[in-house]
Amino acid sequence: MQTVKMVISGAVNAGKTQFIRAISEIEVVSTERKASDDTKLLKGETTVAMDFGRITISDDLVLHLFGTPGQKRFDFMWEILSEGMLGLIVLVDSTRPETFRETNRIIDFFTSQRDAPYVVAANKQDHENAWAPDELRLALRLPAHVKIVPCVATQKDSVKNVLLELLYVIMQRSAD
Amino acid sequence: MALVGNLRDFALADFLYLIDRGYKTGSLQLNRQSAAATLYFEKGKLLYAAQAQERESLGEMLQRTGKLTPQQVQQAVQLQQTDGNQSLGTVLVEHDIITREDLQRHIQTHIEETVYSLFGWPDGEFCFNAGVKLDRDDVQSPVPLGVENLIMEGVRRVDEWGRIKDHIPNTDMIARFVDQPLEKAKSINLTPDEWRIFARINGKDSIKEVISRTGLSEFDVSRIVYGFISAGLVEVTRPRPPVPATGRAGAGAAAGAPKRSLVSRIINRIRGM
Repeated sequence: MQTVKMVISGAVNAGKTQFIRAISEIEVVSTERKASDDTKLLKGETTVAMDFGRITISDDLVLHLFGTPGQKRFDFMWEILSEGMLGLIVLVDSTRPETFRETNRIIDFFTSQRDAPYVVAANKQDHENAWAPDELRLALRLPAHVKIVPCVATQKDSVKNVLLELLYVIMQRSAD
Repeated sequence: MALVGNLRDFALADFLYLIDRGYKTGSLQLNRQSAAATLYFEKGKLLYAAQAQERESLGEMLQRTGKLTPQQVQQAVQLQQTDGNQSLGTVLVEHDIITREDLQRHIQTHIEETVYSLFGWPDGEFCFNAGVKLDRDDVQSPVPLGVENLIMEGVRRVDEWGRIKDHIPNTDMIARFVDQPLEKAKSINLTPDEWRIFARINGKDSIKEVISRTGLSEFDVSRIVYGFISAGLVEVTRPRPPVPATGRAGAGAAAGAPKRSLVSRIINRIRGM
């Protein structure tokens, strides 16, 4: 059985758990559930360790989805998670510009570690005060070749679309 | 749809960059404690800026800057009362008390100073309403201002390591020009020190090396590079990790890449979900 891995990252409350939950064929495993710091103010059950989901591709191939911890103190996990990953999705909460700086830090970390394909998913696009993808590109100063995909992490079709956009990027870089 | 946030998290320089690159039209409302300011933009350029608590009238401002005497201001105010609906600026120009160009230049300076003062706000709520247009008075409205120079001058007045460090976390970072800076660069005015640094940006040397070559302090170089970044001229990247001397450096980028057939299988599966 071959397993491949995608990493879902983003600042606290960007929607990583929801994203994986929307597409995973198993119940999302969150390795720890109690929030004990200020992230509690943002959501009741924050991701303090990591989320894990799975999609069976075929009898001999499985795709694993790992959601990274949102808090800075778990940075060391990012490097471990990013080893051997097929690609990276960076979720950004389009309604909270105060998280854009942290989002940039995450992108910077992963892209400096390895030359991995990635897309940015502009989550919460169904909210009235969401920044549009074009505005996010400017705010995050992302180069034109990096895809910013509109996203609503609670909707399966939207999550599928983000995964597919990442896979198209991966395909362009894949070997024959 | 309004863009809302706090300057603590998304600095004014970042917002002006967004306005510029996005060719935005609209009004930006800023609030901090009891202070408030409003800026109007049209197609990425600044039309007007004012702080809400400004008590100074146009006449007082022109008097303070020595452009008009108190008698001229008083005369203009009396004429304005006689003329009815006309603005003071229109009265001043139409009665040849000041030329249109002089008036616009003074207003422009006032607008610029207002914006520079806002760079000193460490925080403050902002709300950008796209599409909102300034009710323009053609006499008093100066030529729309490009924001690149505003950013450069505003950042010159920034004395805040924290904000600079967000963009330049260490001096091992390498500065390089963004893909299309040339048109922008033409309209930007640089100080001699800025030119010294600008001329040394080559996409290879680290900021540390630029510091040693210019003899300027780490803070000064970082602040200037931060200005270039904010104005959209330059970006900084981490140095590339050294290639290990294993004799396999030429293996090519595709060495660790997944096979197309594997990616195709995953795509087909996701499409079918």
